[in-house]
Amino acid sequence: MATHDIAVIGGGLVGAAIAFGLTRQGLGVAVFDEGDIAYRASRGNFGLVWVQGKGLNHPNYIEWSLRSSERWSSLAAELHALTDIDVELRQPGGVYICADQQEFEQRRALLERLRTQSGGRFEFKMLDHQALAERVPAIGPEVAGASWSDHDGHANPLYLLRALHLGLGRQGGRYLSGAKVVRVSRDGDGYRIERADGETHHAARVVLAAGLGNVQLAPQLGLHAPLKPNRGEVIITERVAPLLDIPTHNLRQTGDGTLQLGDSHEDAGFDDGTRVEVLKAIVRRNLRLFPRLASVRMVRAWGALRVMPPDGLPIYQASRSHPGAFIACCHSGVTLAAMHAGPLADWIAGGPVPDQIASMSAERFDAHTTVVA
Amino acid sequence: MSAEGQKLGLAIIGAGPAGLSAAVEAASHGVPCRLFDEQGAPGGQIYRALESTPLRERSLLGADYWRGGELIESLRQGIEAGLIDYRPEHTLWQLNRERELGTLSRGRAALTQASQVIVASGAQERPFPVPGWTLPGVMGAGAAQVLLKSSGVALDQPLVLAGSGPLLLLVAAQYLRAGVPVAALLDTSPKDALRRAAPYLATALGAPDYLLKGIKLIRELRRHGVNIVRGVEALRAEGDGQLERVGFKRQGQWQEINAKTLLLHQGVVPNVQLSRALSCRHRWREDQLCWVPELDPWGESDAQDIFFAGDGGGIVGAEASKLQGRLSALQVAARLGAITAARRDEIARPLRRALARELRIRPFLDALYRPNEAWRRPSDETLVCRCEEIDAGQIRAAVRAGCSGPNQLKAFLRCGMGPCQGRMCGLTVAELIGETQGRPTAEVGYYRLRSPIKPITLGQLAELEIPEPRAAKTEVD
Repeated sequence: MATHDIAVIGGGLVGAAIAFGLTRQGLGVAVFDEGDIAYRASRGNFGLVWVQGKGLNHPNYIEWSLRSSERWSSLAAELHALTDIDVELRQPGGVYICADQQEFEQRRALLERLRTQSGGRFEFKMLDHQALAERVPAIGPEVAGASWSDHDGHANPLYLLRALHLGLGRQGGRYLSGAKVVRVSRDGDGYRIERADGETHHAARVVLAAGLGNVQLAPQLGLHAPLKPNRGEVIITERVAPLLDIPTHNLRQTGDGTLQLGDSHEDAGFDDGTRVEVLKAIVRRNLRLFPRLASVRMVRAWGALRVMPPDGLPIYQASRSHPGAFIACCHSGVTLAAMHAGPLADWIAGGPVPDQIASMSAERFDAHTTVVA
Repeated sequence: MSAEGQKLGLAIIGAGPAGLSAAVEAASHGVPCRLFDEQGAPGGQIYRALESTPLRERSLLGADYWRGGELIESLRQGIEAGLIDYRPEHTLWQLNRERELGTLSRGRAALTQASQVIVASGAQERPFPVPGWTLPGVMGAGAAQVLLKSSGVALDQPLVLAGSGPLLLLVAAQYLRAGVPVAALLDTSPKDALRRAAPYLATALGAPDYLLKGIKLIRELRRHGVNIVRGVEALRAEGDGQLERVGFKRQGQWQEINAKTLLLHQGVVPNVQLSRALSCRHRWREDQLCWVPELDPWGESDAQDIFFAGDGGGIVGAEASKLQGRLSALQVAARLGAITAARRDEIARPLRRALARELRIRPFLDALYRPNEAWRRPSDETLVCRCEEIDAGQIRAAVRAGCSGPNQLKAFLRCGMGPCQGRMCGLTVAELIGETQGRPTAEVGYYRLRSPIKPITLGQLAELEIPEPRAAKTEVD
């Protein structure tokens, strides 16, 4: 039976980032990933490294996202040096475009509260139509303005995933594909990991980072993952000339020139298809903001399932009943990659608990109260 | 007849032999249909431009081509009788399991729901990736045949054809008859092709027409002095921004010939874009080296009330496609209550006998024209995904680095993520992954396809009318 220091269950952005951080510490890490067909939220990710608007009434989450945004450039540089993959990180700031004046005022009020709750750490400014047009000339005449935050940016989620996989391998970790895990149980001082294909492994410690798969795996280790799929649909267009050098929350231009349009939120169960009325709504919203896109050809659309805890915040927890077992669930695998590969992995490897995550265990749901740190 | 946007009884996609036959058969039982076709005129690829081709001299395109006239005549009668609502120049950009057809015509997108759908979207040429195949001047023999039929266009000379399969011989002969000399025909059939096909010869003799046609074509080419080079082991197209030379290896030696046009062909495979977009169950046909949707004897897939007729369900040829189209239409007519099950079976019986006769030649043809592994699994430097410019070496390296299948390959390399959605590379990619992982292609699987299967503009989608009460409330922030 193969034995490892740590088994990471899940090879998406969350699992791969944690595993990458663990291999950096020299631990013998094995990542168990599913095969060619899986829900794979990482593949449907929109690619934003995004802070603005997140974490109302949860200052720890604001700070966690801010710290990740600050650490992202060093993660990108590290991955580039190790794997030669440029993950196309750009952090020129980001805008949330407001179609009308009412949206504009609501946005200002929301971000004011976030600034206050973060103790002034989160910064933003509101841009009126003209100020926005100077930075984003493609906006339509009816647009009221936008909120701007220097903390925001974007990256290529597929290249990030690939760089993490390659990087963890270069640092001595093992990436196992076609290795869906069905059962994890105690085995002496460590854990026995059973794969769907019947193969078993042993690991001293285990990290559950299987996205929606955590729902089934968590109770086996005395943990709780009350996650629901939340479908987002994304549209990708043909390549167009440079149009947008700043990401917006529902439109960004990728490194190769295609435009990516989002973002919808639907409760569609485990159906990761698309619905034409949702795609139409996404397009109408974006054409109102960017009328000149009407002639651009759409080449593909897909649905992907966000890994969504009830309050939208991540879940990070060490099991009380099963020492050495951890869980990590979140729907911001790109934004938080730098924290997952850094402080979170360091904690799992035996380091100190990061300040922000103490309030992010799933125990917050047991008490039926909102967690305010 | 239902109005635009309202629910239809039967929708048929594609106006080639299978789609036309389905429409005509349905009409003969009083079942109306709407027949969508991408082209401006009926006939599909085989009877392309039959009503308008400038090559009116019948011997040029041959008797098989002109045989389509009868079917198109029946279509015209069905239209006149108000039973066939024929919609040319309609591109299908979506079909889902709720049988909603997204179509695009003259810049306008529409959504129509049908209770029964017969897909007759035909075949496409098997990818034939060789070094230089993306150079201007290199194209598929099938594409060149379409050019000839629709506009009689002469290709730049010298003209060289390379590959294998009956269509390659036919296209060579048709260009010769149209007065375009063929500088060479480079035959890539394996040396043991005849030996491999021989066991099927006895059953093939039940369909002597096919055998005779092939022999006649080869004789015709020889009579015109075409240089037929057999036993070609490797090919490359060369030139500076434009095809100038074709290199070929024979008995271990590379030789070159000048060429301005190179037509490549190694058979046809089902066009599975729609069945894949529907996530239908597929199986790998080792005898035809392609994926086919799993169908019942009427052509119905596991997507309920959606049928596949003709080459899209497995390569069968034009005559068998017609029979399959009629069989699907019979089942639809019975399901819609136009005929009884007993009547359906009674009409189907002779059709099934005829179909069995038509299919007798297939095992022989499949074995005779089966392309070797070397032609399906190109060398490292050969481009595989044209849209994203990914070569075979990159694909092999990604698989060695742990990529488990075609869908993960998209994440690794963007391979198959261009506007063609893998239509040009899907088969090659599956074969390369299987080769590198040391497992059969059947286990490797295929790309998961996503709507739209043909590009539409954002403006067209924004203006799409979605019939009530279907449109549901959706949150988009």
